[in-house]
Amino acid sequence: MNLLAADARAFFAAARKELRQQRRYPTLFLGLLFWPVLLPASWVLMGHAYSGNDPQALAAFAERAGSTNVAGFVFVGYAMYMWLSSLLWGVGTSLRQEQVRGSLEAVFLTPASRLVPLFGPGVGMLIPMSLTFVIMGIALWLFFGVVPPLAAVLQAAVVVALGMPALYAIGSLFAASVLRFGEVGPVVQLIRGMFVLACGITFPVAMLPIWAQVGAWLMPPTYIVDDIRRILLRGASLPDVAPDLAIVLSLATIIAVLAVVVFRYLETSARRSGMLGRF
Amino acid sequence: MRDPAVETRDLVKVFERGRRTIWQRLRREPDRRDRFRAVDGIDLRVEAGEIFGLLGPNGAGKTTTMKMLATLLIPTSGTIRVLGIDPLARPREVRARLGAMLSGERSLYWKLTGRENLEYFAALYHVPPAETTDRITRCLVAVNLSDRADDYVERYSTGMRQRLALARALLPDPPLIILDEPTVGLDPQASRDLRDRVRELRAQGRTVLLTTHYMEEADQLCDRIAIIDHGRIVALDTPAALKRTIRAEEVVHLEIGVDGDDAALLERLERAGTVARHERRNGTLAVTAHCASARDFVPAAFDAARSTGTTIRHVEVVPVTLEDVFLALTGRGLRE
Repeated sequence: MNLLAADARAFFAAARKELRQQRRYPTLFLGLLFWPVLLPASWVLMGHAYSGNDPQALAAFAERAGSTNVAGFVFVGYAMYMWLSSLLWGVGTSLRQEQVRGSLEAVFLTPASRLVPLFGPGVGMLIPMSLTFVIMGIALWLFFGVVPPLAAVLQAAVVVALGMPALYAIGSLFAASVLRFGEVGPVVQLIRGMFVLACGITFPVAMLPIWAQVGAWLMPPTYIVDDIRRILLRGASLPDVAPDLAIVLSLATIIAVLAVVVFRYLETSARRSGMLGRF
Repeated sequence: MRDPAVETRDLVKVFERGRRTIWQRLRREPDRRDRFRAVDGIDLRVEAGEIFGLLGPNGAGKTTTMKMLATLLIPTSGTIRVLGIDPLARPREVRARLGAMLSGERSLYWKLTGRENLEYFAALYHVPPAETTDRITRCLVAVNLSDRADDYVERYSTGMRQRLALARALLPDPPLIILDEPTVGLDPQASRDLRDRVRELRAQGRTVLLTTHYMEEADQLCDRIAIIDHGRIVALDTPAALKRTIRAEEVVHLEIGVDGDDAALLERLERAGTVARHERRNGTLAVTAHCASARDFVPAAFDAARSTGTTIRHVEVVPVTLEDVFLALTGRGLRE
């Protein structure tokens, strides 16, 4: 078994370990039933409260958002929010728990690549995240009668899969800082808020000032959420969003390299200062 | 001659104490943090196949030394060779050949079973998939945990968790195993059990390097011991040879009721033996004396007490231990 194959096996073992631990706290999965429905539903209802089904209001919304489907728009935005939130919190939290528990040193005593504890836990989050998407889809259908065509759903799934490395890399970038700073919760809150504001989660990016829109289009989530909306709500196809996906993959590469560099630097710093075992 | 399992030369680790704020960094103010030498020039040579102990009080630098050997800490200066490999240059190679139990039971996943813990770490240790099941079974047998392998670790006793941590250290089938305070927090039975496992490791031809602040453990278990204090090795030899260094066969603990000055009494006692330590508290002078024979020293002590108007209230004669060696070398007890 060569080193790469051995590390790949360690990587999936880390994901499996995370999943096993999650499974032993079944109440955690209750959150998956409520929040993905309650949060976006409250925004959709608020939208209806403002405009009802007034054609003028819907036309104004469509002009900025590209669709009159308010519920679909908000639910897609919130799916992105839940996904981003899970990776921003999840990967760092997992590393932090390892640090506090004392198992991080045990992991670092093994010959496995340091990237295993950094990236492995995120893979373990794929199943709960997929469940979230399914629940949101069902809620959208049951409560708001929105049923996108199957072909569009499958194409949106491809966008999700291609967007995954980028979101993963963002999560890992913040997780890396756990090694040096320990508790990074407040920073994650700040960053998550920034993404919500800038990436068109609950409102179209067109509503932002021009300078903020420029910043928004430097962030992968902006592209991913916009492309999913275009496919699900506006009838676009994968070739239509391909240029965006190329940008997302490029940004993912840059951010992933940055995450690895930051993690390596902070790991060396922690090995000098003794921070690895402190928390 | 075989290469040593571990060799260090002039190993130093300096930590900074206190904090340097971001504001201080931005203003480029001079770094005024205290420097603390946790390890201060350690030279070690651990031979292959032996059980080598680092004995010292808490904070002596034992764990820091172990962490540097295990690649978890980067030394400030000095050189290290672990199984002939430089851990700074080739850390992954060292980790692949090293079994380590550093933070014991805390380092396990309590919501996984013992077997699931080992499955995860077998993957991290790059154990080939075809060998994983057998290797895990062997490790569980070695630490006598086979019958509880499928229980959650949260249901284990502290001793069982320590044994599972040892099983994890055995996963890479390492020629060298390092154990940091392996029996701390264990009851006497569990400690004995773990010590038996460590002896079995030596019988299998492995090298064991362990730290402890339990002198009995070091005495019973180790082929050679380095006594470490304030980051320095103050003595290194076999337990028997170390005990011979204090030139005494027996240790006498006295409790003497004293009202006035105790200088004359201590001077008389010094003539009969070596007063290694004395401490006065609430009118009682506690004396630890090293002597060739308690049969000669104790009557002399009673004579000294009578002639200085003091009263001996308690006498205890014990054989020389490593605690006495540490006391003789540093003037302090191991547990202080």
